[in-house]
Amino acid sequence: MIEATVQLLATALALGSAYALTALGFVLIINAVGAVNFAHGDLVMAGGFVAVALSLLLPEGLPVPGLILLPAVLLTMAVGGAALAAVAYAPLRRSPPVSVFISTIAVGLILQHAISLGAGPQPRVGPSLVGDGLVDLLGAALSYQQLATIAVAAVLCLAVHTLLNRTRFGRQLRAAAQDPEMARACGIDLRITIGATFALAGALAGGAGLLLSNQYFVTPTDGAMFMLKAYVATVIGGWGRIWGAAVAALCIAVFEVLVAAAVSYLVAEMLLYLGVLALLMLRPQGLFGEAEGRRA
Amino acid sequence: MRLAVHRRGLAYVMLFLTAGAVLLGAGDAYAMRVATLVGTYAIAAIGFQLVFGRLGLLALSQGALFAIGAYALALSSVHWGWPPVLGLVLSVVVPALAGALVAVPIARLESHYVALATLGLAQLVLLAVTNLEVTGGANGLYGIPPLTVFGFDLSDSWRMLAVVWVAVAMALCVFAWATGAGRAGRLATLRDAPHAALALGLDPISNRLLAFTVAGALAGLAGGFQALGLGVVSPAVARFDVMITLLAIAVVGGRGSVWGAVTAAAILVPLPEVFRGLEQAYLLAYGVMLLAAVVALPTGIDGLVRRVLPDAPAPTPTPAAPKSRKISVLRVERVAKRFGGVQALDGAGFDARAGEVTGIIGANGSGKTTLLNIVTGLETADAGVVRLDAIPLLNHSPRARAGLGLARGFQHPEIPGGIDVLATVSVAATLGAGMAALERVGLAGRARVPATSLGPAERRRLDIARALAAGPTILLLDEPASGLGAGERADLAVLLCALAKSGMAVVVVEHGMDFLLPIADRLVCLDAGRVLAAGPTDAVCRDPAVIAAYLGTESAS
Repeated sequence: MIEATVQLLATALALGSAYALTALGFVLIINAVGAVNFAHGDLVMAGGFVAVALSLLLPEGLPVPGLILLPAVLLTMAVGGAALAAVAYAPLRRSPPVSVFISTIAVGLILQHAISLGAGPQPRVGPSLVGDGLVDLLGAALSYQQLATIAVAAVLCLAVHTLLNRTRFGRQLRAAAQDPEMARACGIDLRITIGATFALAGALAGGAGLLLSNQYFVTPTDGAMFMLKAYVATVIGGWGRIWGAAVAALCIAVFEVLVAAAVSYLVAEMLLYLGVLALLMLRPQGLFGEAEGRRA
Repeated sequence: MRLAVHRRGLAYVMLFLTAGAVLLGAGDAYAMRVATLVGTYAIAAIGFQLVFGRLGLLALSQGALFAIGAYALALSSVHWGWPPVLGLVLSVVVPALAGALVAVPIARLESHYVALATLGLAQLVLLAVTNLEVTGGANGLYGIPPLTVFGFDLSDSWRMLAVVWVAVAMALCVFAWATGAGRAGRLATLRDAPHAALALGLDPISNRLLAFTVAGALAGLAGGFQALGLGVVSPAVARFDVMITLLAIAVVGGRGSVWGAVTAAAILVPLPEVFRGLEQAYLLAYGVMLLAAVVALPTGIDGLVRRVLPDAPAPTPTPAAPKSRKISVLRVERVAKRFGGVQALDGAGFDARAGEVTGIIGANGSGKTTLLNIVTGLETADAGVVRLDAIPLLNHSPRARAGLGLARGFQHPEIPGGIDVLATVSVAATLGAGMAALERVGLAGRARVPATSLGPAERRRLDIARALAAGPTILLLDEPASGLGAGERADLAVLLCALAKSGMAVVVVEHGMDFLLPIADRLVCLDAGRVLAAGPTDAVCRDPAVIAAYLGTESAS
């Protein structure tokens, strides 16, 4: 019993840490430009494929292939995120947010089908982070991959937290997100902060993609699912609250894994969407309230 | 007026009829099936233009309603043995009801929540039809009988084509009805000017309900045709691809334009056939076209056509004075309002008497705008009393307050796109009253230009005219003179005095003392959410506390 519980919790935490990274980037973009990035899930998926592609270039038998590739994946997807800003946001910054919703839906579509055409529609396996192996904890056998996933996600979250709170650049990002007009008046270049936010979000999505690609494989059609989870997490965590969304994403994974183990994954999915509909109806400001400063 | 507006519609109809004639002349059964599919998607897209284009809601449930329509027909004919004609009725009714059900809970939600709620619903529908036994699971439902009416077989390719395109024409009529009788202006105002819409007494809920119901009916009818055309319904109809196709049609065609949507359907729907063998490469093409359209051609195909065939200017109606009512005083007492940690209003109030201009002054953040918002019902008060003569207002909806004669102008006027100046001011009044209001603010000559083409000063006058058109007894304005030139300020001052003289109570929040002091009969000075001084203008101007806190010594003279 206790082994099974520990096993499930480890699975849930590993999955949840990847979801949390996804949700973190999703909310950063919402705060920076006031629009939903519908391509965010496809960035996660693309990160998985970048990891798969790069792993083919590595020599066989390296001990920690995923960890070696992590910086390259983060960098590639940061560039991808910045490119997304240039293509789907910059030309529309004076249009209503719904235009950005649509342009990102378009980019997501392009990413999904371009990758599907190039790499084929079948699932691919990404590199493992630190090789294969098991650790015994309270009788449960936890894989290196699970533990490394949790550790990498925790380090990335800490890095984001440090960037946002301890650096001048991070304060500029937050200031620009909170009050763009005032930030501009203080000499902050919004094009740079917004581009950087998209790059950061892209890197986080790419990291999540790498983390998920080994255990869960990666398929070109996966994007929509990742995006939906991040979207739901954003609503549960309170619109605009970055750490609220990250924690909510973690909880969604725990919920999913537990319900899937007890009943089925299908039931878990249905309950999640029914739950979010109920939440939107009864408490649209989220369980913990929306971030302050976005009164109409 | 109708004929001039319909010049473009006529051009589109000629285009479609020509294409239809060529198609029938060629007599190619395959081409006819594709053209039937174009018509099918056009019907669903026309419905989507109502919620997405006209109401501005990214309702990602339209594809799911399409699927519900397809399954309603399949279930009724395969499982219950209904004739497909009756099945088609079901595929209109069930999604219409589903659309209405969707509209109720999301009627008050903001755009980003609407997108998620409708996306969640779509996901639930997909999961349900893929996994339920009654819908045939992943295999779907087979053996849908052909469409017959009184034993007359309509299922061969050209008859089906005719049936579907007659339905397209009907869908266009339904859309014209749903946006007719001034509703186009109301929908545009609800979409682009939500605060003004609320203050004008427009009802977002009933409008959303109508739009979603019609959109659901049309999506379902299209789904029914899809099921009849294929003879099979599988979970593929519930996949997001259908929604993407509808969204691409709406955006490429031009948001809110049904003619553009039908044209875009004729371009986009055949694409999968062009890319056959390349699986879903057509969706890559949709993605590219969607991105290109939203970035480079935001008005879509219809915007291009408009450039070639612009609307002929419609005649302007004769001005007609709105019916007038009489009140004596608006009394606002001890109003309190807290935002998080900020006490924005702390027992503030004022009296506004008919026939007088009441000025509200005070530093930034002293609570002036919040007070106006509470009086008009855009925000709720934590405590206090607002009375119009004997009628307590605070438990009335903004709509009811507008009906009692309250009208409001905004510091940053929200201007709806896609409608002209006259339609903008007439959303809550007759065209004649709108015209009269435009004359009062000096915009009569601009009645038939697009509202969004006005400059900042004209937009402000448009906002005031919009408030005046309904014939209010109380007019509340938020910094109406800011950003105006000297001449425009003088005109505005004359207008406000005339309105007061005609028996209206005019309330003006303003920073420009040179503008306000000559016209205000009474002043209320707010400071940190409290009334610092109130009374006749001269007395308040001489009040030492007001001079110290706000006016400064120079402007006291």
